[in-house]
Amino acid sequence: MNPISLEVFVVTLGIAMLMLESFVVSTDKRYLAWLGIAGLAIAFGASFFARPEFIPPNAPYASFYTADGMAMFFKRFSLLATILVLVMTIDYTSVIERFVPGETKGAGVGEFLSLPVLTCAGLMWMVSATDFIAIFVSLELVTISFYVLVAYLRRSEGSLEAGTKYLILGALSTGFIVYGITWIFGVTGRTNLAAIAAVLPGLPAASHTALLFGVGLVLVALCFKVAAFPFQFWVPDVYQGAPTPITAFLSVGSKAAGFIVLLRVLQPFLDFGPLHGKLETILLLLAGATLIYGNLSALPQRNLKRLLSYSSVGHAGYLFMAVASLGVAFARPAIEFYLSAYLLMTFLAFIVMALVSRSVGGDDISHFAGLARRSPWLAGAMLVAMLSLAGIPFTAGFMGKLFIFGVAIEAGHYWLVVLGALTVACGFYYYLLVVRAMYWQAAPEYAPEISVSLAGRVSMGALALLIFIVGIYPQSLLAFLG
Amino acid sequence: MAPQTASWIILFLPIFMAAGILFFGQRSKFVSSGLAIAGAGIACVLSWMLFIQGADLVVSTNWINLGRLDSPVPFTIPIGLSIDALSRPMLVIVTTIATLVFIYSTGYMAHEEGYCRYFAGLALFLFSMLGIVLANNFVMMFIFWELVGVSSYILIGHYYSRDSAGDAAKQAFIVNRIGDFGFMLGILVFWGVTGTVLFSELPGRLDAFHGASGWLAVACVLVFCGTVGKSAQFPLHVWLPNSMEGPTPVSSLLHAATMVAAGVYLLARIFPILQHSPDALTVIGWIGAITCFGAGLIGLQQNDIKRILAYSTISQLGYMVLGIGSAPVSGVAMFHLFTHASFKCLLFLCSGSVILGMHHEQDIWKMGGLKNKMPITFLMMTIGGLALMGCPGFSGGFSKDLIIEFAYTKGPGWFWLAAGGVFLTALYTTRMLWVTFLGAPRSDHAKEARESPAVMVIPLILLAIPSALAGWPFIQKHFFPIEEPVGVPGWVGFLIPGIFAAGVALAILIYRGAPQKDPVLIPFFANRLYLDDLYAQIVRFVQDGTAKASSWTDRWIIDGVGVNFSAKATWACGFALRFLQIGNIQAYAFFFGAGVIALLYVLISK
Repeated sequence: MNPISLEVFVVTLGIAMLMLESFVVSTDKRYLAWLGIAGLAIAFGASFFARPEFIPPNAPYASFYTADGMAMFFKRFSLLATILVLVMTIDYTSVIERFVPGETKGAGVGEFLSLPVLTCAGLMWMVSATDFIAIFVSLELVTISFYVLVAYLRRSEGSLEAGTKYLILGALSTGFIVYGITWIFGVTGRTNLAAIAAVLPGLPAASHTALLFGVGLVLVALCFKVAAFPFQFWVPDVYQGAPTPITAFLSVGSKAAGFIVLLRVLQPFLDFGPLHGKLETILLLLAGATLIYGNLSALPQRNLKRLLSYSSVGHAGYLFMAVASLGVAFARPAIEFYLSAYLLMTFLAFIVMALVSRSVGGDDISHFAGLARRSPWLAGAMLVAMLSLAGIPFTAGFMGKLFIFGVAIEAGHYWLVVLGALTVACGFYYYLLVVRAMYWQAAPEYAPEISVSLAGRVSMGALALLIFIVGIYPQSLLAFLG
Repeated sequence: MAPQTASWIILFLPIFMAAGILFFGQRSKFVSSGLAIAGAGIACVLSWMLFIQGADLVVSTNWINLGRLDSPVPFTIPIGLSIDALSRPMLVIVTTIATLVFIYSTGYMAHEEGYCRYFAGLALFLFSMLGIVLANNFVMMFIFWELVGVSSYILIGHYYSRDSAGDAAKQAFIVNRIGDFGFMLGILVFWGVTGTVLFSELPGRLDAFHGASGWLAVACVLVFCGTVGKSAQFPLHVWLPNSMEGPTPVSSLLHAATMVAAGVYLLARIFPILQHSPDALTVIGWIGAITCFGAGLIGLQQNDIKRILAYSTISQLGYMVLGIGSAPVSGVAMFHLFTHASFKCLLFLCSGSVILGMHHEQDIWKMGGLKNKMPITFLMMTIGGLALMGCPGFSGGFSKDLIIEFAYTKGPGWFWLAAGGVFLTALYTTRMLWVTFLGAPRSDHAKEARESPAVMVIPLILLAIPSALAGWPFIQKHFFPIEEPVGVPGWVGFLIPGIFAAGVALAILIYRGAPQKDPVLIPFFANRLYLDDLYAQIVRFVQDGTAKASSWTDRWIIDGVGVNFSAKATWACGFALRFLQIGNIQAYAFFFGAGVIALLYVLISK
């Protein structure tokens, strides 16, 4: 099967969902969610039959589309993340109905369900893109869908504010990436990454500065995508204001695709001797600064959603540690492993948080007080997520950090590893703060029952189980990595 | 079923059962015990299947690869199971006894608190124990070694509301940690010198020690420290009698039949290595000989039925360790482990039956005359007792004789300590049986005692069969083929039964009639040679002193300066950083631009 048919299928699915939303008279939109989940699951299954050999060599897209192991792995990754977003949305429809004005009940839910599917297609293209034009187009497809989704709760000021901020700063970063691409194109005369790699050695030394300028600008935009310091200022506000399923999607899908593009874009330039030193320096600085900023800022947080947003910045820092060590062969699998672990634990945390905040009416840490007594299963799931995010042994998060640190040590970045270990200690503090609230603090007076849909239960159970399986037997995941 | 699959199922089924019990057993006692018994039973059937097939097999998989995926990896941690002549009989022993004890437990624990927790603990224990038996490398064995320690801790502390149970659990864990620390150092020495932790590769790589044979002995003795802790050898034996605070089936399974024998199993596992270090074998033999005699002395003057059995366990473990030190094959010690597992398990289960009949009274001086009230228990406990004493014709007699004969070939010291141990064993075992079952009842409970339910009595009968018969050559040859020692004079073969008879006769002479209290009082033995008091003093002076000093350092220097100051400073940094997050979009755009300039400056500046 030609791999590109997966994206075509997902786009078709998204459009079909929009059409159904328009023409089917039903106020209960959950069938759309199930349709989306089923369609994405089919695409997930079909992805195992897709092979790059089936791309015709003379196809018009052959030069800017790749389906190597990494691309296929992250196509599945995006599909899985989107399925989880739809599952979260099932339990979230009441919030959407409250904050989106409409004549009839259920207005707006359909679009909210189909936009993530279209975003997913963008993510899938993004991880396959090997040409600056394709990268830019797929990046914009993803980003524009996210502008809409973040600002979706039209009656919620927070959501609107978040949408505005994301739009303005996102536009700024888009400007930088286009400008950077033009500089690179100006120097090399190519937009295809493989072609650029071939041209680089023949360039006169005088053009290296111009090339670095272009790469730097592209790097700025990608740092914005993956939330690395100092381009992360949008993160806490946008994460807090956005609808929770979208926050999770933004935090996992957008970040993962950003890192894949980063790996693809940086590879030719890192392999090119004269630029290597400078680029490695800047990556090390970005890693260190992101680690410090993300973890220190999370310390005084009392709002769980903001805390998770800072932690998302912190995790970008750990990932940057491996990006800065790309010379080590194991760096790429380590990044992919970490991103997969990050998907598991972040979604688990966000699913629990969405359920609790919907019933209690807030997402401060104090709203989680006494959760272990009220809903032991939810508290247990949150516990697993927090332990894994903090990096306790026998969880996926621990193994991810272990591999990343191992790679950084092999590359000789000892000070970065020391810094990483120190920031992990900070992480223990703020993640366990949540655990303390759940298990050792009395419940607030208003503490209603929390009902969870079957899909939510199944996905939480599966995520928690996977966190342990991957943490105890990492080979099970490493075998799948491209 | 393929043997590979079977061995994986044997290992992992119990842990799945433990998880199942924790998740689904809270509401139903039937589910809890049913899952545990099913797990043990299936593992038992598969173990017998592997035993009958008799094929050697190693299955190994890499647990964690650190490094490149496509090339030979620089560092991997394997999980490997080895099914061989050593692990097959051990699997059979562990799973069979576990199944019987699990069944017995449903009767013993029927009216106790924490039924679900208890069976989950048992299943966890079975998983850990099977991991030790199947491990093909030091790292995996050490992991399961520690897991066994954890499950032992959980089960000893089952009645956690009792202070004594909590203390005993802590003591068992901590004393074992002391031994395990040595074990870990030993593993590190082996790994550091030879570069491998696989049992199959180690003997071939011992050349790496050449020129420093002292280091080999040191490494072996360090690993032996693990045995000293787990198998309760002198001087780390103190935890085992206290561990009797746990429920009696636990004492039977963990602290008599299987877990404490793990230390001996470890020695048998590394026997091909030990053979290269006669010095280490000498140390091991002496520790074993001293333990088997010393524990017998203490056993003479104990009054708690379970403690008597606990000291006899220590003493018998001493014989096994002596067997490792003195015999040219590990099968000798394993043979005694095998017979001991069945008769000691039987004895403990019988004592559990007595204790249940006596309404949880454990003092033998409050019992008496139970022979008529509990006839089956009496009969079974007598069979177990005869096997323990080494009565000719019973299982223990065969295996113990063999060890003593091998000890004779290595010198008079070990021989006389071991032979003396036979006398002491006969003396205290007869004392226990006589005072408990014969004579007149010494309390109301003893007058009203009744036989235990069938679910408890049937395992007793099933265990009595191997206790009586397992030593006979027609059974032994299937499990542990051993050649008789050469150069042992004929009189040794007559001396040992003579010593046994003398011990029994002396005990009957002292305890005949129905004395109300012990007619012989030897405070030195009754107070456990004052070793526990000595340790308490050492702990008080050395450890409490150190603890006070380190507490002061911790509070004022580490906490005050190191932790609190840096925590406050870190927190303050975080708080300050938060002011960058002012929520104003123009400011964010400004920071963004500043970031771009900084990044480009670093990139482009020369």
